[in-house]
Amino acid sequence: MSATDLVNGVLIGGLYVLVALGLSLVFGVLRLINLAHGALVVGAAYLALWLSNEAGLQAFAALPLVVVAAAVFGYALQRVLLTDLLLKAPEVGIVGTFGLAVIAEAAFAAGFTSNAQGLSSSLGSSGVTIAGVTMRSSLLLAFALAVVLSLGLHLVIRRTRPGTALRAAAANPATAALMGINVNQIFALTLALAAALAAVAGVLDGVSASFVPTSDQALLLTGIAVVVVGGVGNVLGTLVAGLGLGLVQAIGVGLFGGGYSNLVIYVVFFVTLAVRPSGLLAGRSL
Amino acid sequence: MRLSPASWARAVVEDPWGRTGAASSFAALVAAGGVAFALGGTLGDYGLNLGATLFAYVVLAEAWNILAGLSGQVSLGVGAFVGVGAYAMGLLMVHDGLGWLPGLVVATAAGGALALALAVPLLRLRGDYFAVGTLAASLALQAWLLNWSFAGGSSGISIPIAAVPSLLALYEIGVVVAVIGVGTAIVVRGSRFGLRLLAVREHEEAAASLSVDTRRQRLYALVVSSLLMGLAGGTFALLQVSFEPNGMLGLNWTISALLMVVVGGTGTILGPIAGAIFVYYVVATELANYPTASFFLEGGLLVLIVRFAPRGVVPLVFDGVRAAARRRHAARG
Repeated sequence: MSATDLVNGVLIGGLYVLVALGLSLVFGVLRLINLAHGALVVGAAYLALWLSNEAGLQAFAALPLVVVAAAVFGYALQRVLLTDLLLKAPEVGIVGTFGLAVIAEAAFAAGFTSNAQGLSSSLGSSGVTIAGVTMRSSLLLAFALAVVLSLGLHLVIRRTRPGTALRAAAANPATAALMGINVNQIFALTLALAAALAAVAGVLDGVSASFVPTSDQALLLTGIAVVVVGGVGNVLGTLVAGLGLGLVQAIGVGLFGGGYSNLVIYVVFFVTLAVRPSGLLAGRSL
Repeated sequence: MRLSPASWARAVVEDPWGRTGAASSFAALVAAGGVAFALGGTLGDYGLNLGATLFAYVVLAEAWNILAGLSGQVSLGVGAFVGVGAYAMGLLMVHDGLGWLPGLVVATAAGGALALALAVPLLRLRGDYFAVGTLAASLALQAWLLNWSFAGGSSGISIPIAAVPSLLALYEIGVVVAVIGVGTAIVVRGSRFGLRLLAVREHEEAAASLSVDTRRQRLYALVVSSLLMGLAGGTFALLQVSFEPNGMLGLNWTISALLMVVVGGTGTILGPIAGAIFVYYVVATELANYPTASFFLEGGLLVLIVRFAPRGVVPLVFDGVRAAARRRHAARG
C-alpha cells in the first residue's frame, strides 16, 4: 500500500466522523441508538440528487437547503414520534427507529429506483497533489469539515449556555426540567442538530461514492463503530476514532483486498465491544 | 413494557400461557400439528410451498421471541444464525453428500455453535449495545461469506436437486419443525427457566439479588433461540435450494422475525404464530409483486405498533375478550 492509500484512508475517515457525530450526540443526550440515522444520511443524498435533477443545483449549492430541510425534519420527528417512544422503554426506541429505516429504504427505492446513484460535483473527481500524495478534493473537504464541525460541536457543548443546558438534560432530564430547562425542546433540537450533521455527511458521501437505497445499513454500522470506539458522547473521541478507523480500513484493504473493506470495520467494532464493554459506557461524558 | 413488580406478578398469574397452561397448550399444539400434517395430502403445490415457508417463519418468530420477548435481549442479527444454519447444511450436502435429515441436525447445531462462539462478547453487552453487537456480528459474517470462495462467494451455493425432498415431504418437515419450535417456546415459557428469564428481562439487578445467575440465563436463552434459528435456516435452505450471502444472511430475517413477534405480541406463545401468519400471508404473498409497498407496510406497522400497541395484537384481543366476558357477567348480575 502506498502513502496515497493511507492518506486517503484517513480522509475517508473524515466521512465516518461526519456520519458518527449526529449518532453520538443522539446516543449521548437521548440515550437512543437511532437506527434511522443511516437513512437520514442517505435521505440527504437523495434530496440533493432531487434538487440537482429538478433545479439543476450542484451538490454543494444544494447543501444549505438540504441541511435546513434535515434539521426541520429531525425536529418534527422527535416532537411527533420519538419522545413518546423513549418514554415507553429503551428497546421501543430501537424497534421504532428500525421501522423508520425500513420505511425510508422503501421510499428511496420507490422514488429513485434501486440503481446506484451519485451526486455530480466538480470536486468529486478532481484531486490535490501535495508532496507526491494525491488526495481527492471531496474527501479533503470531508476531512476539513469533520475537524471543524467536531471542534465546533465540542466548544458549543462545553462553553455555551445552550451547551450547558444540553449537558444538564443529558445527565438527568428530570432535574434539568426542575431547573427550568425545557427538556423536550432540547431533545428535539438535539435530533435536529444530528439530522443536520447527517445531511452534511450525506451530501459529501454522495459526491465521494455512489449510493443505493440500502446504503444506510453500512453507513449506520460504520457510524456506530466510530461512536463505540470513540466513546459515547465524546465528540473529540469520535473525531479520533473516525479518522483512525479510516486508516485501519485502508491498511486492511491493502493487506487483504478491496472486498474486505467493510469486514475490517465490523471486526474492529466487534472486538472493541468484546474487549472494552465497560470502557465504552465509562466514556459517557457529554 | 417495563412493569412495576406488583403488576408484573399479576400479569404472570393472569397470563393463560404461563405455567399452569403448559399441559393444555401442549395438547392443543399436538392436535394442531396433527391437523396440519393431515391437511398436507389435500394441498396443491402452491399451498404446500406456502405452508412449508410459513412453518419455517413460525420457528423463526418463536426463536426471536424466546431471546427478545422472554429474556429482553433484542437481536438485530437474526441473519447470522439463519445463514450459518443454511450454509453449514448446504456445504455438507454439496461437498459430502449429506442427506437432508442429518443436514437439519447440522443446521441446528451450527446455530447453537455460533451462539456459543459469540456468547463471550455478546453477553457482556446489554440493551441497545446487545442489539448493535448482534447486528455487527451478522454483517461481519455476511461480509466474510461474500469473500469466501469455497462457499461460492457472492454467487452462493446450490443444494444438489437429488438431495432435496419432494414438496409434500418439505411441507411435512415444516409441520414437524414448527411443532418443535412452538413446543420449545411452550416448555421454556412454562418452566422455572422461563420465569427466571422474565425476571432478568424486567429487572436484571433485582433478579441477581434473588440469586438468579443472570448471565447463565441469558446464555441459555441465546443458545436455545439460536438452535431454533439454525433449524429455521436449514428449512429455508431446503425451500430455496440455491442461496447467497446477501439473501441468506441479510437484514430481511431480522425484519420478518421482529415484525411477526411485535405485531402478534412480544413474550407470548400465540403472538408470534398469529404474527407470522398475518405478516407472511399479507406481506409476502398478497403483496409479493409490490416489494416496495410491502416494505412500506412492514416499516409502518412496526412504528404504529410500538407507538400505539407496544404489547402486540394478541394480548389486546385477549384483554378485549376478557373485558366482554366481565361485562356480560356483570349484566347478568
